[in-house]
Amino acid sequence: MSRLAKSLSYVGLIVALGFVIDGHAEEAGHYGYGQDATAEQIAGWDIDIRPDGMGLPPGGATPEDGEMLYEDKCASCHGSFGEGVGRYPVLSGGEGTLTEARPEKTVGSFWPYASTLWDYIHRAMPFTAPESLTDEEVYATTAYVLYLNDLIEYDFELTQENLADVEMPNKDGFFFDDRPDVKAKRCMKNCKKPGSIKITSEPEISEDADSGTVETVVVEQPTEGQAVYQHACSVCHAAGVGEAPIPGDSAAWSARLALGRDALIESALNGKGIMPAKGGQSQLSDAAVTSAVDYIISLSAKQ
Amino acid sequence: MGKNKSSTANLLQTVAREGEKLQASERRNFLKQGLLLAGGALSGAAVPGVALAGDSNLPPNVPPWTKSLGSGVLTNPYGKPSPYESHIVRRNVPWLTADRIASISFTPLAELSGIITPSSLVFERYHAGVPAIDPAQHRLMIHGMVDRPIILSVDDLKRFPSTSVIRFIECPANGGMEWRAAQMDALQFTHGMISCCEWTGVLLSTLLQEVGIKKDAAWVLAEGADGSHMSRSIPMDKALDDALIVFAQNGEPLRPEQGYPIRLMNPGWEGNTSVKWLRRLEVGDEAWYHREETAKYTDLLADGRARKFSYLQECNSVVTFPCPEKPLTERGRYEVQGLAWSGEGKIKRVDVSFDGGMNWRPARLKGLVLPKALTRFGLEWDWDGGPAMIQSRAVDETGYVQPTYTQLREARGSSSIYHKNAIHTWRLHDSGKVTNVQIS
Repeated sequence: MSRLAKSLSYVGLIVALGFVIDGHAEEAGHYGYGQDATAEQIAGWDIDIRPDGMGLPPGGATPEDGEMLYEDKCASCHGSFGEGVGRYPVLSGGEGTLTEARPEKTVGSFWPYASTLWDYIHRAMPFTAPESLTDEEVYATTAYVLYLNDLIEYDFELTQENLADVEMPNKDGFFFDDRPDVKAKRCMKNCKKPGSIKITSEPEISEDADSGTVETVVVEQPTEGQAVYQHACSVCHAAGVGEAPIPGDSAAWSARLALGRDALIESALNGKGIMPAKGGQSQLSDAAVTSAVDYIISLSAKQ
Repeated sequence: MGKNKSSTANLLQTVAREGEKLQASERRNFLKQGLLLAGGALSGAAVPGVALAGDSNLPPNVPPWTKSLGSGVLTNPYGKPSPYESHIVRRNVPWLTADRIASISFTPLAELSGIITPSSLVFERYHAGVPAIDPAQHRLMIHGMVDRPIILSVDDLKRFPSTSVIRFIECPANGGMEWRAAQMDALQFTHGMISCCEWTGVLLSTLLQEVGIKKDAAWVLAEGADGSHMSRSIPMDKALDDALIVFAQNGEPLRPEQGYPIRLMNPGWEGNTSVKWLRRLEVGDEAWYHREETAKYTDLLADGRARKFSYLQECNSVVTFPCPEKPLTERGRYEVQGLAWSGEGKIKRVDVSFDGGMNWRPARLKGLVLPKALTRFGLEWDWDGGPAMIQSRAVDETGYVQPTYTQLREARGSSSIYHKNAIHTWRLHDSGKVTNVQIS
């Protein structure tokens, strides 16, 4: 019996005993703190979707419906074909790589359930504006990502009724925790053959390592503009995600700088193209965003 | 009276001026020392016995701080460390993640004593950054297969009977960069995704009892109020065992980085299950299989299958002195130290080897030995100035013995990312320098 199976039968026992905790049982509502949650309150927060489709709202969409939306909201990080930009997650491909030295774990090659995709896009995507998509838009982007993985046809309408039936290639690829899977012994003397100990790997260390200096990361206190930039802007601007101009890239910035500081501040405050207002960090003050613009200008005008 | 008051004020002003002057010279000294520290303190070449600031403050001389007044109360209403310790900070590895919003920083284990991690140094892991939550506007909703779905304010939660425990919290990716080969050159980066605090909160079992769970309830979904709406499925037995809804850490309100105003705490389990900024608990009869328990936080094995719901952080240990950040400076006697922990319970024993695992000596467990908490060990050792391969191996109260890399890789391959708890090796060079290696 696995550890988890044991646990679950233990739960049955606890429930059957009616919560005998600390030697006595308390009835529900014993303390009576807080408020009853109304159906309307629960509906506003109850966003989770299960593999059996529980939680899915009514609706549906095809990959075709999602194509432009994906290009607009997702491709800047995940790539037009789900290939991933920089270190952002790859969404498609990778079939048959799970046993390779560098496995590519994508929606198509690894994820066991389509429901997880709908749930995750809805709860956490787009990265800079979670919970901003309508249910129809979530169906559409989910459908498009499934299409990028050749799991549904371009004109297939993914709906509340059929999403749970979309078969994922790796659905049987997972098993419950069965650890401990290693049984080591506590040997104290002559545990290895003399001469058998060899260094198999060590980090690449610079040639002057023997001088005794260990390189350390110097942490400088950032200015306000730098801190705001790192918090709100660098997600896209540092890597040039979605063609965001990289600070210091004079070619990318010269035309923009020519528009003047006020125009750049205006764009940062209100958004431009796929850049959300204030980089999606609406809690930032206008002054804070302005300081970040000045920081970017200081880097970009120098070049 | 008036005259006295005025002369007292004058005196205080004079004292303050003198104090400022002395503090200024102290500041200069500090800057001078700071520069030297930056250049040499972390280096194996530091020469023992040579005072960095010269000998002017050493016996028989009397340093300025002994001949003057120090700063008064409330100079720092919320205290802070000595400026001489400003190098003790969390650090990150920029190439690990795409950005610093969904990223991780590491605890400086080499610099800490005892078993408690100061709140400011607890490692950070966010999936959508730290939300700026107004506690008056925060709510915990408990619903699903319950008799009475409720919404609690933070104050409501604090009215329930509470408890305090000292427990570690560890990211299952701790050391995950080392699965294929030794890669990181500092203890902070090989093992720093772990911290240990005193946590105060309400047992989740108390809350589940309060709402009344229905007969077939077997799982609880925990969800955060951050932009990632971080969500994990928790089996009911853990929820009814030692899971806590935490509102305080090391005696003060939770830090924003750690889930302010409230978080879930699953002792001994991978850190991501201890959902921060907790806003919702839903009771159900099946697991939810969300992104963070399918695409992530599952352990891919060599045969292409993946272990799911691998919550437990198994027994692990590491030597924290010496280590790359804390080299040896001269031959002689040292107390070698380290940390051990197990998600299954208490640490029973720790052994230390200086010859790469050929022979082992039992270490002494120091101070508090608590279940699912960091446990400090120490062992006196004479360094003869020669090279050594230093390892530690922990055993927990279930009898589980920390495995070698060879054993772990035989069982799992090297693509798991998570749950690497292999015996770690520090290579001590004859210069006293320490580097990270893996050995056969």
